[in-house]
Parts: sequence; C-alpha cells; structure tokens
Amino acid sequence: MNRFAIPLALFAALVVVFAVALKRAPEKQFVRSALIGKPAAEFTLPDLMNPGANIDSRAFKGRWVLLNVWGTWCFECRAENPELLAIQREGKVVVVGLNYKDEDEAARKWLTDLGNPFDAVAVDREGRVAIDYGVYGAPETFLINPQGIIVHKVVSVITPDLWQKTLLPLIEGAAK
Amino acid sequence: MRRAGVAVLLALAALPLFAIDAAPPLPDPVQQQRYQALIHELRCLKCQGETVADTQAMFGEDIRRQVREMVQSGKSDGEVREYLVDRYGEIILLRPRWSAGNAWLWLAPAVFLLGGFWVGWRILRQRRVLLATDTSEVDEVRRT
Repeated sequence: MNRFAIPLALFAALVVVFAVALKRAPEKQFVRSALIGKPAAEFTLPDLMNPGANIDSRAFKGRWVLLNVWGTWCFECRAENPELLAIQREGKVVVVGLNYKDEDEAARKWLTDLGNPFDAVAVDREGRVAIDYGVYGAPETFLINPQGIIVHKVVSVITPDLWQKTLLPLIEGAAK
Repeated sequence: MRRAGVAVLLALAALPLFAIDAAPPLPDPVQQQRYQALIHELRCLKCQGETVADTQAMFGEDIRRQVREMVQSGKSDGEVREYLVDRYGEIILLRPRWSAGNAWLWLAPAVFLLGGFWVGWRILRQRRVLLATDTSEVDEVRRT
C-alpha cells in the first residue's frame, strides 16, 4: 500500500495540472499579445482609398479605435466583413483597416464588392508596421483606447458575440 | 552506374534552389553568421513548430528581413531579441530566458535527475538489506 502512495500522489498531481491547463487552453490564446496595456505604435502609411495621400495614426487619438489587420488573401477576413460593417455603422469606434501585404487594386475591388467597413485604410505592403503591432497573420484586430493604449487583441474572426461580450464592454466599462 | 552517380550529384547540387531563405547573404561574414544564428533561435509564431529560419510562412519572411536589417545596421544580438520580445512576447524565443517565472523550466531537468538518483539509491539500498536478511535459500533447504 505504502509503496504506491507516492507515485499515486504524483500521478494525481499531474492529472490536476493537465486538467487545469486543458481547461484554460481555449480561453488563453497560444500567443498572448505582449502589447496589451502598451501604447499603440504610431504610423504614417499610404491611404488605400486616396492614392497619393497618407494616413497618420495620430489623427485617431482621442477616440476608440478598432484596428483591423486584413488582406484579400485572408479567407477569415471575408467572414468578419459583415460584423465590421455593423460595428462601423454603430459608430462607437473608428474602424481603421491595415491592409497587410496585399495589392492595392485587389484590396479596393474587395471593398467595393463586399462593402467597406473602414473609416480609413492604411496600406502596409511590406508588413513593417505589422511587426510593430506584433502581427503574425490575418485577421488580427486591436482595440485601442482614446489615450492610444492597446486594450485588447483579437487573433480570430470578429463575431457579433465577440463584439457584444468582449469588446463593447471594454469600451463602455472604461466610460463609466 | 557512373551516369546515375552524376545525376544524383547534380540533383544534390540543385538543392540550394529549394532554400527557404532566398535573400543573398550579408556582405560581412560575421554579420551573416550572427543573422543565421539569430533566425535559428526564433520561433515562427504562424507555424509554431518551426524556426524563423526554416519556415516558408510570410511571418518568417518578414522577421528574417527585420533581423537582417537590424544586424546590418549594427544592432547587437541582445537588441534584436529585445526588439522582437517587446512586440511578440517571450514566446518568440525558442530558448526561454532565465527569469523567476522560467526558473522551474531550467531547473526541472536537474530536479528530476536528482530525484531519479535518489529513488535508485533507495532501491539499491533496500535490496542490499533484503539480500542480507534473505532466508529463502534456507527455507528451500529446509523444505527438501
């Protein structure tokens, strides 16, 4: 009896560790952004919708910003387009697109075909600004507060549920 | 036979065509070596099993370019790592850094090894005690 006590206790401890880790796995993304709570990187990039003009991120200071990293090569970006349109219409945030490693023509056509949910679209053809935001794919979405601090990062499709239950409460919670 | 050998050699010589890192080496061989070492110790966050050096993902391409540029502009290895950790978190380093939170990662192997020695030592000692007090042979003799 006694000789099994220690291995059994160790085994039980391991089961507990694995159970906790498994249970927490879905809610904590593999890569948690290191940038939550840090100032969002400033950028000046070409404006997709107004060739020749630039977009300066400082123009959005003082308002809540939803920065959405997308590309026409990204399938999930198509899936979240309707929700982004709805969010933009709701008007609680400025919806800014970061067109990531894409082609301008294709990107403009996509927005014409699907509807343009963005108040502004900045072109990051080489993905340099994306590195400043710790981006490693698309879609990725950042919620930035009026002080320019990154409050939340979403590494998946923006769904109505996610907007209602996660993002909106962050905005409204901060207003109180 | 000989022809087959030549064909194999030619095929092998063409392997660099499949190289993932298509960029030309840095002019300074020391910098090139540092660049190679760095990209081999960075994790591709898009694919997560691969290093930045080995991945074909767009992410790897961008990070390789970033590292190459930083090395070329005279940044130290530490500065390059710091820059990436600031943006992507420590997860981008394949080799965890020494810190209070990571200490157990580094110490666990030693702890397990010592634990194994301890268990082994106990078993050996017990056996020695058992052998010393072993009466089975006597029992056997008695039985016959």
